[in-house]
Amino acid sequence: MKEYELFIGPQHPGITGNMMYHLWVDGDTVTKAECNVGYLHRGFEKLMESRLWMQNIPLVCRICVPEPDVNEAAYSMAVEQLMGWEIPDRARYIRTIVLELARIAAYLMAIGSYAGSIGIYTIPQWSMGDRDYILDIFEQLTGARVYHIYIWPGGVRWDMPASLPRLIEKTLNYIEERLKLYDDVLFENRVFFDRAIGVGKIPCSKAIEWGVTGPNLRACGYGYDVRKLEPYAAYDEIDFDIVSYPDLGKFDVHEAGDAYTRMLIRRLEIEQSIGIIRQALEKMPEGEHILKHPNWLRWKVPEGYAFARVESSKGEFGYFVVSNGGLKPVRVHVRGPSYTHGINVAERLLQGANIADVSQILFSLDICPPDIER
Amino acid sequence: MKSIELLGKGEEMHGRAYIKLNVNELEEAIKKLKENGFNHFVMLSCIDWLDKGKFELVYHMWNYEEKEHAMLSIDIDRNNAVMKSMSHIFPQIETYEREVHEMYGIKFEGNTRLTPFLLENWPHDPPMRKDFDSKKFVRQMYESIPFIEGEENEGI
Repeated sequence: MKEYELFIGPQHPGITGNMMYHLWVDGDTVTKAECNVGYLHRGFEKLMESRLWMQNIPLVCRICVPEPDVNEAAYSMAVEQLMGWEIPDRARYIRTIVLELARIAAYLMAIGSYAGSIGIYTIPQWSMGDRDYILDIFEQLTGARVYHIYIWPGGVRWDMPASLPRLIEKTLNYIEERLKLYDDVLFENRVFFDRAIGVGKIPCSKAIEWGVTGPNLRACGYGYDVRKLEPYAAYDEIDFDIVSYPDLGKFDVHEAGDAYTRMLIRRLEIEQSIGIIRQALEKMPEGEHILKHPNWLRWKVPEGYAFARVESSKGEFGYFVVSNGGLKPVRVHVRGPSYTHGINVAERLLQGANIADVSQILFSLDICPPDIER
Repeated sequence: MKSIELLGKGEEMHGRAYIKLNVNELEEAIKKLKENGFNHFVMLSCIDWLDKGKFELVYHMWNYEEKEHAMLSIDIDRNNAVMKSMSHIFPQIETYEREVHEMYGIKFEGNTRLTPFLLENWPHDPPMRKDFDSKKFVRQMYESIPFIEGEENEGI
């Protein structure tokens, strides 16, 4: 049969953002795939080299659109390492709550867009609506809905208002109830089983070598989570279990590393995050929420190399910050999880896939082009 | 730290192993660490030290069992920026090398896919180099575009 070329994206509802996949197809089977990015490059890393340490905070959050807080946390942690700062206990707990709320919001978005890719259009409407309730919490806490600019080196920008825990609890209860509906419509739906089981399977023995991280790695049976490996914020004082294949709770266990398992891991981690936030609210101590800052205009960070990593909803997010003791960083390099998932892993998984499955494979990897391009 | 013991040199920096290597030692070091549990390649960073006339390449590796992060650092000459590709050890190094090639102009011998990555049709100097002045570049490229329609020299 004759081979055709097919371009998916950058303007296509079945693609995970402003990126493009160039497919070579034989009939409706993909024989070769190539990722083409460059539609979103904003030159943040270059820009950060010419701005003061504090001026970079409003930039870094724009590196991941669905979950911006992980960037602020990782950048702040790297700067704190260089400064040798220990942040106040209350700030650690507030960071945990913010990061977990952001994780739930990002998972809701990921589940919604995935469900859209297999033709279940009810879920995207619901999950984007439910995500907005979390954005309401952020609006009360930080004044902004999407880019919060809230986690700063040395702590968090403002203290948590006394009325907020009640709103958080109310929202968590609501989301917990809604998850039952999500199960009925998506996760226990025959359409999901027939479409997702065995599709886009990451070979588990190769997963670590290919650089797979986060929920995608846990779907392959490796129980690795940065929150446990290198506890940051208050995760070391909170009791939670890593969700990984084959322990999928009430759901049926099928193959490791396929689209089905990857999405179920995300579904189960929403419940895990709800548990973490409840514990953090309960244990949160009183006290200061931020350290006293030096004058930002004259703030020099000691010389050195620092690397901070956090667990985002997509995988391992890392910030490599180099300082020469000056007013501005010499280099800030971001390790986004989609960098490997979107290019190296996706190109391999798409080989041999059906054209109709291309979009669900990409959505089940939860690829986010902003962190590929920065 | 395990990586420092394995390679016989290096220092601890903010909880990470920072190991300075010669260019010809790098491949053996990455292979040795990979065999000894450092099986997750985190990323490849490049730093331009303009005043010292060199590029620093930092290979970040992570050991899931020992929970240890190793940074293997090498220096290459800024005027003769050529390096051997390491993409045969970890496949995703290919993409990192593509980006470093594009942004810093370092050529990686053995990498067959040094095609345009983030930039397209970029005839100018590699933009992440410290001597690439973004403000000057913007002035040269865009200053001639008038703000109001109908002015002289419309559309460059």
